[in-house]
Amino acid sequence: MPTNDTGPTNDPGSLIRELQEALGASNVLHEPEDLVVYEYDATIERSLPDVVVFPATAEDVAAAVRLAVKYDLPVVPRGSGTGLSGGAVPIKGGILIVMTRMNRILEIDADNRVAVVQPGVINLHLQNALAEYGLLYAPDPSSQRVCTIGGNIANNSGGPHTLAHGSTVNHILGLEVVLPDGRIVRLGGRVPDAPGVDLRGLFVGSEGTLGIVTEATLRLVRQAPATRTLLAIFDSVAAASEAVSTVIRRGVIPVAMEMLDQEIIRIVEPRIHAGYPLDAGAVLLIEVEGVPDGVAADSAVVEQACRDTGAREVRSADEAEERERLWEGRKAAIGAIGGAAPAFYLLDGVVPRTKLPEVMTQVLELCREYGFACGNVFHAGDGNLHPNIMFDPTIPGATERVLELGGAIMRACVDAGGSVTGEHGIGLEKRSYMEWVFSEADLDAQRSVREAFGPADRFNPCKVLPGGHGCASGHASEVMQHLGAGSYV
Amino acid sequence: MTASASADLGALRDVLKAAVAPGSERDVERYDIDGATPGAAFEPGNREDLATLVRLADEHGLAVVPQGARTSLALGRPLAGYDLAVDLGGLRQTVEYVPDDLTVTVEAGRRLGALQAELREHGQYLPIDVPPNDDVTIGGLLATARPGFWRGHLPAARDLILGIEVCLPTGGTVRSGGRVVKNVTGYDLHRLHTGALGAFGVIVEATFKVAPYPEASRTLVAKAPNLEAATALALRTWDASPVLRALTVLTSSAARLAGLEAAPQVLVELAGAKRAIDRSATDLASIAPFVDAPAGAWGALRRAQGDSERTVVRAGVAPTATRTLLERIDQAGGTGWTNIAPGAVVAILPEPTAEAIESLRSEAERLGGFLQVESAPAELRRQVAPSPGDTVLVEALRDRFDAKRTINRGRWGAVL
Ligand SMILES: Cc1cc2nc3c(=O)[nH]c(=O)nc-3n(C[C@H](O)[C@H](O)[C@H](O)COP(=O)(O)OP(=O)(O)OC[C@H]3O[C@@H](n4cnc5c(N)ncnc54)[C@H](O)[C@@H]3O)c2cc1C
Repeated sequence: MPTNDTGPTNDPGSLIRELQEALGASNVLHEPEDLVVYEYDATIERSLPDVVVFPATAEDVAAAVRLAVKYDLPVVPRGSGTGLSGGAVPIKGGILIVMTRMNRILEIDADNRVAVVQPGVINLHLQNALAEYGLLYAPDPSSQRVCTIGGNIANNSGGPHTLAHGSTVNHILGLEVVLPDGRIVRLGGRVPDAPGVDLRGLFVGSEGTLGIVTEATLRLVRQAPATRTLLAIFDSVAAASEAVSTVIRRGVIPVAMEMLDQEIIRIVEPRIHAGYPLDAGAVLLIEVEGVPDGVAADSAVVEQACRDTGAREVRSADEAEERERLWEGRKAAIGAIGGAAPAFYLLDGVVPRTKLPEVMTQVLELCREYGFACGNVFHAGDGNLHPNIMFDPTIPGATERVLELGGAIMRACVDAGGSVTGEHGIGLEKRSYMEWVFSEADLDAQRSVREAFGPADRFNPCKVLPGGHGCASGHASEVMQHLGAGSYV
Repeated sequence: MTASASADLGALRDVLKAAVAPGSERDVERYDIDGATPGAAFEPGNREDLATLVRLADEHGLAVVPQGARTSLALGRPLAGYDLAVDLGGLRQTVEYVPDDLTVTVEAGRRLGALQAELREHGQYLPIDVPPNDDVTIGGLLATARPGFWRGHLPAARDLILGIEVCLPTGGTVRSGGRVVKNVTGYDLHRLHTGALGAFGVIVEATFKVAPYPEASRTLVAKAPNLEAATALALRTWDASPVLRALTVLTSSAARLAGLEAAPQVLVELAGAKRAIDRSATDLASIAPFVDAPAGAWGALRRAQGDSERTVVRAGVAPTATRTLLERIDQAGGTGWTNIAPGAVVAILPEPTAEAIESLRSEAERLGGFLQVESAPAELRRQVAPSPGDTVLVEALRDRFDAKRTINRGRWGAVL
């Protein structure tokens, strides 16, 4: 078929040829056996892209986007594919732009506490490179060994230390992005508060629907001179939740307050030997940092608050190695669940911190009602829940019921004044829940934002906003159609 | 300035008046901006009336200027139309405050000071110190997003905002975000509105994450032989203390303005647990002869920066590059200071000319940064005010949220 410069064309052969010319043949995958690796992220959804490309520069990305426009195909950006809401799944096919080749740290300006990186840089690689300067990049998702900075920006990812430092958006100074029309623009800069509309702040968290990050300028923070990690052991989730609120009420904001419940402790401890008592109802991992005297003062407040709310034991560690051991159980928890159950469904909801005890009780009750084991390992200080529902997908009907249960838990979060995602994003998975949180007018405003950046079906179609041309509704029943037997959730 | 609705405004005023609660109309004389008086002024007492006014104005092509404490109206370009003043002072309630959640939801017309007093009763505060003082309203501080001394040490308004409700020119209200401290549900429109000078709607309500009020704070100052030495000391101080709340290098004249000895000075504020700041003060004393200074120094500088009668500019460059700019300002007889962490150089210019501003701007840009005019006479702002950023995107957004440019027409320039 001859290519037609004035309108879209759909000859796949010539698309591949043009992509190969623009990016180099080895950076374009199109054989079915190569594409299957890119049909999923860390969720249940699956869908094949038509073609996968690996750009090396912003110009490569722009060239691929222009070809997508020419051939009228969707574009889906992808980092490491660790996303937990289906954000990187090319649900309508098209060109999947995998950013992992753009993995250079371009600059570390230690004096000014700024780093400039390509989007494919792995979060932990950056942290390691910064350590020698005594600096860190605060956002630390638990997936940091694998996930990319670009993915973190797209999802406005959080992590244990978000409690004190805030989510990714607070640490992004500037971005270079490729827009749906192929233009390369810069948003923000190297220092904060540039005049103009804060498109940077709007862009972070847009889940690959508004543009593709090709470079990011990050704000760094200095490592604190002293850090103490406390492990407080409680008989119940309710008591541990109360401790969280009490610490805050007494005027201390630790840098992290993470909770593991009994189900998780029993899975993690035999595998990791982090020293969590098997009969504990919950443990809290709390970290405080600052000047040594301040750390001593703050941890005294934290320890007292834990004891006052029923902690049976509070351990503490100051040395890096010891602290690391206390953290080990937390960091390995999700992996350990993977080894303990045939499949699990990891949820992400958020509630006002004071509603934690009540909502946690509801979550556990709902899981019992539906007949599933559920372990909770989560960012308690932020009220950010992560119930992990364990199940066997080979049992007929189990997956449907898990998804239904997931919906019921999300509903409980919304009813408690919270929302359906604190850090994993809406993606495909939670589009239909958006209507629980926002009115139609609110959603229209969000659609306006999307349209201002480009046609809604170009970049990451069927993500974030409900509806959309040719998009499934995203309700559990539809999600089911994408599930193969034995899916690992 | 052109009053866009011209002759009909008299009749329209009656339409507006009839549409809202009695007693909402205000004397237009109080709402002068750059010497222009609006055709009508209202202070709606509830959200419905606000929405009605904005919708009717939009329908009839009137240019609306929402305003709070009227402290930052000299930001951006002079208006390209001013028919209707909408005073947000009637919407000043705290909607919800849950101290244990560290969240507060307030109406846009609430004064920062009133909010701080309320939070303080629970040992908390909103860690924002925008110029000129705590008289600013919540809506105003969000729409202008002016950074203060705490910027770079504590999260700024654009980081603390959790959710927003905005009134659109079409009369509808829309929300984004929520009331929880961590949330990635949908696009963060609340960040788009922060600093947008009203381009995408009138802010009605906002939710913030608040912070515990520090147990103690302490202001220290150290004198330096020149601005080079002062900046070097400040950079070392930045590395030396994790409990900084402000870290500023002052020119001699800025030091005088702050009530300090007229010499290059490094002014520091520590805040946090008492033991932590005492320890940090001891640490700092080992790198330079820091002595205690009156905390009032900050207020004096803050007022000066926010004095809209003066010509004030703010540049942003890498912290290590700030010295060059500050020296230039000092040599030209200006009063200036650098907030080290965000690389913000603030200058009060003695001779407010376009050439002086442009020359500073090109220097800031040469250093990889920017310059923003924070206040200046209208004529000057017409020549030097900044662009809104990527105009294609901003215009596309504005076309969707305020197609007729009803709100703050012209503040961002001709097309906006
Ligand atoms: C075990 C485990 C633990 C996790 N822990 C956390 C946690 O603590 N906190 C947390 O927030 N998340 C967590 N996650 C979720 C996930 O790791 C994060 O969302 C992460 O930021 C995704 O990065 P990625 O590189 O894998 O992105 P992907 O999964 O590849 O993509 C995620 C989204 O980003 C878009 N995207 C990717 N790159 C770009 C780019 N350059 N430009 C524009 N859009 C782009 C994609 O289109 C997609 O919408 C966890 C996941 C796992 C599997």
